[in-house]
Amino acid sequence: MLSPVWSFALARLVLALAVAVALGLLFGHVALWLVVVLGGALGWQFASLYRLQHWLRFRSQEDPPDLGGVWGDVVALVGRLYRSKKFHRRRTLVLLREFRRFAAVLPDGVVLLTVRHEIRWFNPAAARLLELRRKLDFGAPITNLVRDPALARYLECAGAGPGIVVRVQREGAERCLALALVEAGAWRLLLVRDVSRETALLEMRKDFIANASHELRSPLTVIAGYVEALQDEPDLDDEWRAPLADMRRQAERMRRIVEDLLELSRLEAGGEEASFDPVDMPALLEQLVRDAGSRRPDGPRLQTEISAGCGLLGNAPELQSIAANLLANALQYTPAGGTVTVRWSGDAGGACLAVADTGIGIAAQHLPRLTERFYRVDKGRSRDSGGSGLGLAIVRHAVQRHGGRLEIVSVEGQGSTFTVHFPARRLQQFCNNP
Amino acid sequence: MEAADLGQHISRRFNEDLERVRSRVLQMGGFVEQQLQLAITALAEGDSESGERIARDDYKVNQMEVAIDEECGRILATRQPTASDLRVMVAIIKTITDLERIGDEVEKVGFIAARLATMETPADHYRAIRHLGRLVTEMLHDALHAFARLDADQAIAVARRDRHVDLEYETIQRQQITFMMEDPRQIRRALEVMWVVRALERIGDHAKNIGEYTVYMVHGKDIRHLSLDAAEQQIRATAEERRG
Repeated sequence: MLSPVWSFALARLVLALAVAVALGLLFGHVALWLVVVLGGALGWQFASLYRLQHWLRFRSQEDPPDLGGVWGDVVALVGRLYRSKKFHRRRTLVLLREFRRFAAVLPDGVVLLTVRHEIRWFNPAAARLLELRRKLDFGAPITNLVRDPALARYLECAGAGPGIVVRVQREGAERCLALALVEAGAWRLLLVRDVSRETALLEMRKDFIANASHELRSPLTVIAGYVEALQDEPDLDDEWRAPLADMRRQAERMRRIVEDLLELSRLEAGGEEASFDPVDMPALLEQLVRDAGSRRPDGPRLQTEISAGCGLLGNAPELQSIAANLLANALQYTPAGGTVTVRWSGDAGGACLAVADTGIGIAAQHLPRLTERFYRVDKGRSRDSGGSGLGLAIVRHAVQRHGGRLEIVSVEGQGSTFTVHFPARRLQQFCNNP
Repeated sequence: MEAADLGQHISRRFNEDLERVRSRVLQMGGFVEQQLQLAITALAEGDSESGERIARDDYKVNQMEVAIDEECGRILATRQPTASDLRVMVAIIKTITDLERIGDEVEKVGFIAARLATMETPADHYRAIRHLGRLVTEMLHDALHAFARLDADQAIAVARRDRHVDLEYETIQRQQITFMMEDPRQIRRALEVMWVVRALERIGDHAKNIGEYTVYMVHGKDIRHLSLDAAEQQIRATAEERRG
């Protein structure tokens, strides 16, 4: 199907050729007439092409040429294309100006980086927070100007993890800045936020918990001491025996909560990463299991499966606390006929500590919230069994500080498995299988 | 055409080498800066654990110095830089020496902070030392910024601030002498404090040196043993010469 423009152009050509042939037949020299007519047509095409090219070159100054036929169509199409491009450019410019204005009033800093972390652009808030200077600092690596070693490390691993907080001195006061990297194609965006207030509040809360637990401990010791003394009194009325035993149990529970709170606040105050001291995990686990077994000889059956002889690089008391808390949980929720298994396995890619029990298990909806402080699966039962409600929160913190991951798998009525994965960089060098 | 391309190629690689080594110097500087801040905090808060850790981590600064030194040697041998490139190399080699010395002073502060943590904290919680520490930290910070931006004006401003540090040093010295005369039991602590203050004052001097190397790197003028006003005049003169 030809468009009307083309049919018209073709018809015109055919007509011209027919006229040429007719004239040739009338006056002789058909070939000559054909050459003349075709030459004329070619000349007209050239003339149109010339005017089109001339207009395209100087189109901003001149009106479009008035050409007929297909050429006119081409002119109209080019004109439309040109107008829409001009419109787009204007729209882009307006958008860009809007964006700049918007970026200027943004309360958070934004720095545009190349993949090699050179500064390409930043907004005024970033300039203020990071002490950058427009123009002068474009092209410089950001680590030259924000020299906190944490940032260099963070950029090195391409912004893995939730971002970092750096402390900077501004006008004599210390400010905390949260930095987060966002990958944006060939670019990287560094987002900068002033979190001094939040950090101060968090610190206040931590201090409060640490101080409050510490202050609670001494009166508790006195109470527990007197209760114990009273229990040992030979001429005590028998009806007081049960209440006193209960008081002693509750005092013991409270002491454990306070201890756990203190441990938790110690973990939180200890910075992001645990130390890298060698810890002999197999020996630590064997010892723990032995102790637990001798404390509760009538409890569930205990077994250890140590399939890797390697130790870890970490903080010994924290690793001990991870294992002890997981083991205590397993023992608590497993009836006397059940089995609790402690597994230690590992290879070059990392190590695993798993504590599996055949206890009552945990329903799926509780799993995500299990490591929250004081989270109770079953409010009534847990209170009697005497846990502090902080054990798994401690485990989570300690695992995090070792760069590890806690995984919980559980089927209600069949048992649960708590697995802690440690990364390869926490492994001790000599990792051999026994 | 090809030769020109090759030439550009070589000089571009060289520039990259220079930039990389400059970045490494600044990263070393950043680490030293952080250590210094932590050391002052450890002292003020009586945190012996943090103080000991800082003293232990000094080896990292030494490692960085050795690594950068090696890199500089390699660049000097293979690229044989001249003129301003050579000045950059010389300035870098001198700067890392001063940074390493700052690291040593910080180690000393950390060590003494750990020891002071076991003693009684004075009523003013080392306010004067914290003030001096802030002055010195800012000096080091600005000196490294001037180094990063090749900003000779800021570098001279840093060198000028060394006077404040010296004044503060003298004030604290006098204060400690008064303490010692008032109560001889304070002498031990006062002596330790004097070591810290002395270390901080030395860090100020090293920061000033770094500023001077930056001026040398940018303008090719050695202003080390001139008065600062004379130095500024000289720099202005060269700048005008260059412009005229």
